[in-house]
Amino acid sequence: MLEIKNLHASVEGEDIEILKGVNLKVNAGEIHAIMGPNGSGKSTLSKVVSGHPEYEVTEGEILFEGEDITEMDADERAHLGLFLAFQYPVEVPGITNKTLLREAYNTIARANEREELDPLEFEDYIESKLDVIEMKDEFLSRSINTGFSGGEKKKNEIFQMAVLDPKLSFLDETDSGLDIDALKIVSDGVNKIASPEKAMVLITHYQRLLNYIKPDYVHIMMGGKIIKTGDFSLAEQLEAHGYDELQKEFALNGAQ
Amino acid sequence: MSEVLQKETLLSYIGGEVEPKGTSISIRAINERGREELHNTAFPTRKDEDWRFIDLKSITKNTFVSVDEADTKEVGDISNHFLPEAMNTRLVFVNGEFNEELSSISDLPNGVIVGNLANYADHDSVKSYLGTITNYENDVFAPFNDAAFSDGTFIHIPEETVVKAPIHILNVFTDADKAFYATPRLLYVGEMFSKSTIIEEHIGLADNVYLNVPVTEFKMFTGSNVHHARIQRDSKQASHVSRPIAMLDKNAEYHSYTICLGAKLFRNEPRVIQNDQEVDFTVDGLVLIDGDQIADTHSIMDHRHAHGKSHQLHKCVVNDSAHSIFNGKIFVAKDAQKIDSFQENRNLLLSEDGKVNTKPQLEIFADDVLCSHGATIGQLQDEEVFYLQSRGLTEQKSRELLVYAFALESVESMEVESVEKLLLNEVIQYTNRDEK
Ligand SMILES: Nc1ncnc2c1ncn2[C@@H]1O[C@H](COP(=O)(O)OP(=O)(O)OP(=O)(O)O)[C@@H](O)[C@H]1O
Ligand SMILES: [Mg+2]
Repeated sequence: MLEIKNLHASVEGEDIEILKGVNLKVNAGEIHAIMGPNGSGKSTLSKVVSGHPEYEVTEGEILFEGEDITEMDADERAHLGLFLAFQYPVEVPGITNKTLLREAYNTIARANEREELDPLEFEDYIESKLDVIEMKDEFLSRSINTGFSGGEKKKNEIFQMAVLDPKLSFLDETDSGLDIDALKIVSDGVNKIASPEKAMVLITHYQRLLNYIKPDYVHIMMGGKIIKTGDFSLAEQLEAHGYDELQKEFALNGAQ
Repeated sequence: MSEVLQKETLLSYIGGEVEPKGTSISIRAINERGREELHNTAFPTRKDEDWRFIDLKSITKNTFVSVDEADTKEVGDISNHFLPEAMNTRLVFVNGEFNEELSSISDLPNGVIVGNLANYADHDSVKSYLGTITNYENDVFAPFNDAAFSDGTFIHIPEETVVKAPIHILNVFTDADKAFYATPRLLYVGEMFSKSTIIEEHIGLADNVYLNVPVTEFKMFTGSNVHHARIQRDSKQASHVSRPIAMLDKNAEYHSYTICLGAKLFRNEPRVIQNDQEVDFTVDGLVLIDGDQIADTHSIMDHRHAHGKSHQLHKCVVNDSAHSIFNGKIFVAKDAQKIDSFQENRNLLLSEDGKVNTKPQLEIFADDVLCSHGATIGQLQDEEVFYLQSRGLTEQKSRELLVYAFALESVESMEVESVEKLLLNEVIQYTNRDEK
């Protein structure tokens, strides 16, 4: 589904390289987790994959379902079925959640030559998605993320994902800032959305999320690269020993 | 006198003289007074503090003739500009002249007058208040209106009378062979505890050059209440210089909302004068300009007595090489304690060439007041655009929604549904005009 080959990316117009040769392959039905210390490039990877104009790809490519999307605008990538749940969801005063989602849903439908929903149909559709993460419907008519608590913002990202029904989602630290109940609700929601046709990449610092959403692969990112890939046990190992040990091991083996 | 003679006056741009046209003694007297002032007052230049930022060449490079010399075109069918809420509470002026056929006044409570000034020149309120409320010192535009008007709108709401339907004062301007001037005039007298909504609209039907200089005077008696929306959609080649002023007695409420969409040059000088205690007023504005439009608001909120509440939210969206200017004066006199005044100027700059000048100006002589003010100049946040785009919205649509969101609050204060719809449509057109 997604294939990232030797991806190098810098801040647009500056000489700061943040991604230094990332390789990652995600197939339909898989759940991947990316872990790594602060500043290692996890969020940057997710933004570059979703087409943030702040970053420039200097080398390598991103393929989605076989198509090269490296130069595509963010909205075109969303039309293909990519979604990013932001680490820091943006507040947009004056535009309601519902307005955004209806516009987004119908734009994606149009791009895929699917039937658009009229306001009433959309009302029913969106109501039906509220349950996925036990969201109160008053959030629909509130301005996007404006005045939401940290946890509410994260829930809102997953709600948007449920409504837009993407094929591949990057969830960037969706678990940070959630209390234990909310974490459970959000994880349940994510599990409900997961399916053999879809894939997810979870970026997280904590094994606790992975107890609820079982990843097929765990990747460790450091210094702008994925330096190690394993299964769930890698997350456990990390929780026990921290990144230091991994870093040493990586240094011993040399950069492969 | 001799000093002024060496400088330009407004007369230089209107063919040298204005003939008084008022047919009644009261209007005629104001005409004469205006003409006198016009002769004795120099046209503003960049050296005048209040005119420092504004380029007046849209006026000075032209010569404007009176409407009867301009060979104006027929007005045609303008029913698309009628408001459904005001089908029978509408006065229409075409190029500044009252048009009875297009007007329709049949739906008013007993005793309410909505009519043309020339017809009511002998009314006590007209004799007492017309021309007495404007006080613009060293000004050439209010005197120009004084000198040139012969008709206009007269609204009189009797005591304790509430007019539910909005009153629509529609000024339309047609195409013409020559650049002309028009001086729409409005006098509103709200008696004690009266209430109404006024939609004052200026529409250019073509793309011609004209000079529109309206003066509106609101005399608000004790406990009276007005919601005054002003919508300026003049021709994109026109110049519009307006002088809306309100005088508030005890417990009066005057809420004004000026929307600026049209005109190449717009200069608005709203003033609200607190004439007694415990008043409440609003001087909000929304400016959406692009191309080489200039929109300049110089307002005065004049608190002269204790216990007043006032609010000014002035929002501007500036694209291309348009230029927005804001100077908001808040005066609080020495004895005007317990004033609660809020002023904010928010500017959204959509282009690199656009320009914004903003200057709050507080002159507060009382010590127990609550005055807050602020000005911001911002761009659309890249993070906001990206966020919307990552959800599938095109960049254009994302920007449109963000500008829409910025303007929405101001539009929603119109309180008349068809006007809100019309303005939201204008916002969408504005954001889609320039697809770069
Ligand atoms: N626009 C930018 N300009 C300059 N530096 C940037 C920019 N974006 C990212 N960086 C830098 O790139 C590095 C990677 O940042 P990134 O946000 O991807 O880290 P992260 O792995 O998500 O960290 P965290 O776990 O703290 O969220 C950091 O050092 C960050 O400061
Ligand atoms: Mg991050």
